[in-house]
Amino acid sequence: MPPLTGLPRREALQLLGAGIALAAGGCSRPDEEILPYVRQPEQLLPGVPARYATALPLSGFARGVHTIAVDGRPIKIEGNPLHPGSRGATDVFLEAAILDLYDPDRSRAPSERVAGIASWEAFGKAYARPLSEARARRGAGFRLLTGRITSPTLLRQIVGLREAMPEAAWHVHEPLDEANARAGAALAFGRPVRALPRLDRAEIVVCLEADPLGPGPDQIRLSSALMERRRDPARFGRLYVAEGLPTLTGIKADERRALAPPAVAALLVHLANGFGAGLPEPGLGDDERRFAENILADLRRHPGRAVVLVGEALEPAFHALAHWLNARLAAPIGWIAPPDALPDHPPGDLAGLCKDIAAAKVSCLAILGTNPVQTAPAGLGFPELLRRVPFSVQVGTHADETAGAAHWHLPLAHDLESWSDLRATDGTASLVQPLLRPLYGGRSVHEILNLLTGAEARRGYDIVRETWQGSWERHRRPDDREFEGWWRRCLHDGTIPGSAAAPAPVPAPALPVLPPAPAPPARAPGDLTLLLTPDPALWDGRSANNAWLQECPHPVTKQVWGNALLLSHREAARRGVEDGQGVSLTVRGVSVVAPVAVVSGVADGVAGLSLGHGRARAGQIGNGIGVDGYRLIGSGTGRLVRDVSLTPLDERHAILRTQNYTQIEGEAEKLFPRINLAALASSAPKGNGSGNGSDQPTLLAPWTGDADGHAWGMVIDTMACIGCNACVIACQSENNVPVVGPEEIARGRMMHWLRVDIYDSGKSEPGKPERIEAGFQPVPCMHCEHAPCEPVCPVAASVHDGEGLNLQVYNRCVGTRFCEANCPYKVRRFNFFGYADGQEYANLGAAPVRAQRNPNVTVRARGVMEKCTYCVQRIATERQAAERDGRPMGEVATACQSACPTKAIRFGDLAAKDSSVAAQRSDPRHYALMEELNTRPRTTYLTDLRNPAREDRT
Amino acid sequence: MSSQPHPLIDAERLSYGAISEAVADPIQRTGFGRAWVIALLCTLPFVVLTLGAIGAVLTVGIGLSGVNTTVVWGFSIANYVWWIGIGNAGTLISSMLLLTRQRWRASINRFAEAMTLFAAAIAGLFPIIHLGRPLYAYWLAPYPNTMDLWPQWRSALVWDFWAILSYLLFSALFWYTGLLPDLATMRDRARTRAGRVIYGALALGWRNSARHWRAYETFHLTMAALAVPLVCSVHSIVGLDFAASLMPGWQESIFPPYFVVGAMFSGFAMVVVLAIVIRWGLNLQAMITPAHFDAMAKVMLFASIVMAFSYATEWFTAWYGGEHADRTVVGYFFTGAYAPLYGLLLFCNCLAPQALWWRRVRRNLWWLAGISVLINVGMWLERILIVWNTLSHGHAITLWRTYHTSLYDLAILVGPLGLFAFLFLVLARLLPIVSMHEVRQLARDEGAAQP
Repeated sequence: MPPLTGLPRREALQLLGAGIALAAGGCSRPDEEILPYVRQPEQLLPGVPARYATALPLSGFARGVHTIAVDGRPIKIEGNPLHPGSRGATDVFLEAAILDLYDPDRSRAPSERVAGIASWEAFGKAYARPLSEARARRGAGFRLLTGRITSPTLLRQIVGLREAMPEAAWHVHEPLDEANARAGAALAFGRPVRALPRLDRAEIVVCLEADPLGPGPDQIRLSSALMERRRDPARFGRLYVAEGLPTLTGIKADERRALAPPAVAALLVHLANGFGAGLPEPGLGDDERRFAENILADLRRHPGRAVVLVGEALEPAFHALAHWLNARLAAPIGWIAPPDALPDHPPGDLAGLCKDIAAAKVSCLAILGTNPVQTAPAGLGFPELLRRVPFSVQVGTHADETAGAAHWHLPLAHDLESWSDLRATDGTASLVQPLLRPLYGGRSVHEILNLLTGAEARRGYDIVRETWQGSWERHRRPDDREFEGWWRRCLHDGTIPGSAAAPAPVPAPALPVLPPAPAPPARAPGDLTLLLTPDPALWDGRSANNAWLQECPHPVTKQVWGNALLLSHREAARRGVEDGQGVSLTVRGVSVVAPVAVVSGVADGVAGLSLGHGRARAGQIGNGIGVDGYRLIGSGTGRLVRDVSLTPLDERHAILRTQNYTQIEGEAEKLFPRINLAALASSAPKGNGSGNGSDQPTLLAPWTGDADGHAWGMVIDTMACIGCNACVIACQSENNVPVVGPEEIARGRMMHWLRVDIYDSGKSEPGKPERIEAGFQPVPCMHCEHAPCEPVCPVAASVHDGEGLNLQVYNRCVGTRFCEANCPYKVRRFNFFGYADGQEYANLGAAPVRAQRNPNVTVRARGVMEKCTYCVQRIATERQAAERDGRPMGEVATACQSACPTKAIRFGDLAAKDSSVAAQRSDPRHYALMEELNTRPRTTYLTDLRNPAREDRT
Repeated sequence: MSSQPHPLIDAERLSYGAISEAVADPIQRTGFGRAWVIALLCTLPFVVLTLGAIGAVLTVGIGLSGVNTTVVWGFSIANYVWWIGIGNAGTLISSMLLLTRQRWRASINRFAEAMTLFAAAIAGLFPIIHLGRPLYAYWLAPYPNTMDLWPQWRSALVWDFWAILSYLLFSALFWYTGLLPDLATMRDRARTRAGRVIYGALALGWRNSARHWRAYETFHLTMAALAVPLVCSVHSIVGLDFAASLMPGWQESIFPPYFVVGAMFSGFAMVVVLAIVIRWGLNLQAMITPAHFDAMAKVMLFASIVMAFSYATEWFTAWYGGEHADRTVVGYFFTGAYAPLYGLLLFCNCLAPQALWWRRVRRNLWWLAGISVLINVGMWLERILIVWNTLSHGHAITLWRTYHTSLYDLAILVGPLGLFAFLFLVLARLLPIVSMHEVRQLARDEGAAQP
């Protein structure tokens, strides 16, 4: 035994120090205890994506989606094929919702206007008095303001609120409401009903200021139905559009006239008179009369297969007249009770709320998920009135403009973080299930409504289940025995069976009394009619802080990061303004400065501005981008603003565009051929039919690299493409495509792998209204067999694989950019800065945003070229699955293809003779872009197809 | 002028000693005059600007340049082609004129070769800083690596890599070989020990023996013979960077010869400018005479005509070929966003040099300097417009857009000019700027040297 002597002090300290150093640095296990999953959560395989069915709202209406999550992180949204509102496809709003989830600007805690960040407990204390007072008065003075609500659970909670506080009132403010349509239906049928036009059965579709293919809750359903029918040449039909601004529907029209709203209304009256309405005949110009006669002839020839749709720019009486006309036509329209209303409790509107606040009848106002300070018509003066309310609380995902004006703000969980339920436009109900716990500590709308009404605090899950426990038996399938099994199946499928609204029996519509036509010559010659439209990317402004949507090009002007006043060439010339010039718009003393974008297809005397821009408190992405159109709306005029005076200013605004609006002249028409239905039927192929030019002579050896395997190819049907941009955002979401920001766009840089070009072959003739005969052409990488990018790369970063894919090896790329210089299609995108890798725009480099990225796709570094890969990661996933299961590879859908509501994009194996791409390659409309360059593209097109009315018929 | 006995030696008598004295002695003195110091200080900000711009682009990214998604190439490429063009003339003067026994080259070839070396070195910087990831520039070299990856030999950029590399190595060697006898002179006249050691080491033991001269002359001539194809290849391959593509306005078989002549054109213009400055700065009126300028002006005039012919051929082929894209691009030359610059290019490269038909203009240094500067401007414009016009107006109409020049672009345009001047000033301080042994021979041949 060594002598038991104490350690000397120094030695003890040395040993102690060494011990600490070893403990700290010797091995770097985390302090916390780490364990592998003892019982792995069911369905969670590390790295394997899981799909969950849920639903997301737009203006309250559900569209069913599959959310793809990897290791608990939702990364991508796709359509749910079982859901009638999405039919397996998406739109820009659905695709971009995933980025909203991770938005670092989302509010993280309750806050008080003066004291700032607070807690839920602090709110509970502060709210106790106003609530108890309201309850003591049976709810008198208590008001609830929401957006459109279709959620059965939320509606049930509102009924409960009414029972607890009978004097309390519920108001609805939906910025892009269909007020005129609703009022028109009420006028025609005497009660609220909702029209569901069946475009799959209507061959003659007449859209009067209506935009069924345009952005909105029903875009996917309507455009899909229309284009599905048009694939059959026998049922191609004809689409007539009369409108003031070029909408997606107008661009896809067979016959279109740019007309100011009064002229469109007159056209409708003329059509109704053609069916015996006997209304005073309006004055129509020659061209309009010819147009109307063509429509009438077609309507008469298609009884039961024609429909007339009217848009929000026309007054309710014209909607009612259209209903009358549709009844004469036996138009294929389904009628249902509105899914967004409580039968016995019609909600009040915002104007009513304003009146009550002004009369000091409101003591406590709860604003749930809507942003009236930004979106209320300026004429109501809502922001000032809100200040007069003794206690106000706003609930929202962001601390937006209304949050800034209310006393309290409570954070709302995202739709992917909370339990709820929603109904689609046809009434189909879906369960909304959370994929993750609230990232930023918000609560669901159901939980918060219970808190606000003083009801028992319960979990959102329990509240939603309670709703369906009460009514599930009405929706049970034959084999459903108990609630739990039914519930699980509804969650799995994403829809509740048999929940679509039953057809509502409607009486014969009454012929309405029309409002007196506005005296056209009375207006000052300088005045314009302003049409305020939904923004194709930001909708009503709720998406303003979404960078993908801010950088999503406007379908027609291709503008990003802002909006502009649309004027026709002639109107702009008459007023001496040019593209990009600043103008001041004045209505009733309110002025707004906006840049002008000159576009074809705008009616004379009409100007257009999209809503949702120019927000002050959207967040770091959306603040101060664009012009706020809501400021120009009076109290009740809706989205049509008359008598706007326009003053040109001596200032230039850069209108940021990602590509040019291309007028087709001369040989350029080879880029976007457009043929008529009659010509298609009559003769030989109009495209080059034979494939992709591989029958042309060449010095190069024929491409045989994929002779014995798969040969991937894509065919894009430009007839079906409605230019909605869903594919663009889907690609961005799937492939970790970064946003570059407005400064970079101004320098001419962009990153979208897929662009949607617009080509216009309309010839403007002097003296005639401006024509727009445009079409859309999505351009991804062509994956050329003789790819010009490959031989010029000095380091072989651009190579072909054995299945016909043109690949970009990011690791190998040194950034000479010769490939993009030599690409005739200009589809390659260069990381001039580290857009995704350290030099992100604004707050897009924040950690939560990175969680959205697809782990199967490399995040590209600065100085590297990238481009469309045909979603090679999806091909690889399918190949692995096929090899694992020992079966041949099945279908692979690219992100753009799965997003497309009209199935315009088809991808597949050209070597498989039964694949739809192989079949489309022999379609008479088939053509290759810039075939003469002998690049042998693998992405090819079907020509645009239209069915214009023959001029000789009148 | 007619009274002068020797057109290439502007003095009645010029002894060998006087030549050495005039050229070598200023370098050996401790002071080099205020003018030199001021000039050096003037160039320093440009050196800093160049280094700063390079530092910025390495740290922040190539996005600093005005390049965009459509016009992915810009100033770096134009500057590269321009500097390589400048670099062409030195070797051309040394080799081709040596082989064709143009004796007048003796007094200008040294700094023309130095010009080549510096210009090629500066040019070599641009392809590297043009890259998105400059740190991987060495991947263009075929070096053994674990990934078994080689450069992609079909790419003109790989050919270019070899062309610049071999040209740079060759010009350095050629220039150094030509310097050997003069380094020995410097060693012999050095006043300090350091001078004797350094110049002595660099002179590689040159003892002026007949054997040395024989070896030297053989070697130098062989090098000159090798240089001629190299001069042609380097710029032909630069031309192929564009021609080996399928872009309208680039895909032209005329590009290689037209680039070689263009290089000679701008290179000679640069030599003229430098010769005027050096002649004045170092009082070398005796050795660089109007006859030299006259000869160079004739070469420039000839090159200008060839350039004009090349442009006309480009337009004609585009029209005659009937290809829509080619016609569109040529139409864009004259009507597009860059049309004023294209007009200026035609003036500088085709019109202004026509003044050189007149002997008086050829021998007036002011005129000659002005025209030479114009030619250099015009040739730079030609290079940038080759890049801009084609890329701005290619096949994809929807993505037609123009270039937005940035501050960084201006920095890498102006900065290297100062860097070039700086290098020249340092050179003038350290090495004989005129080839003494060749001027001695010239003086003997002209009969100006005293036996």
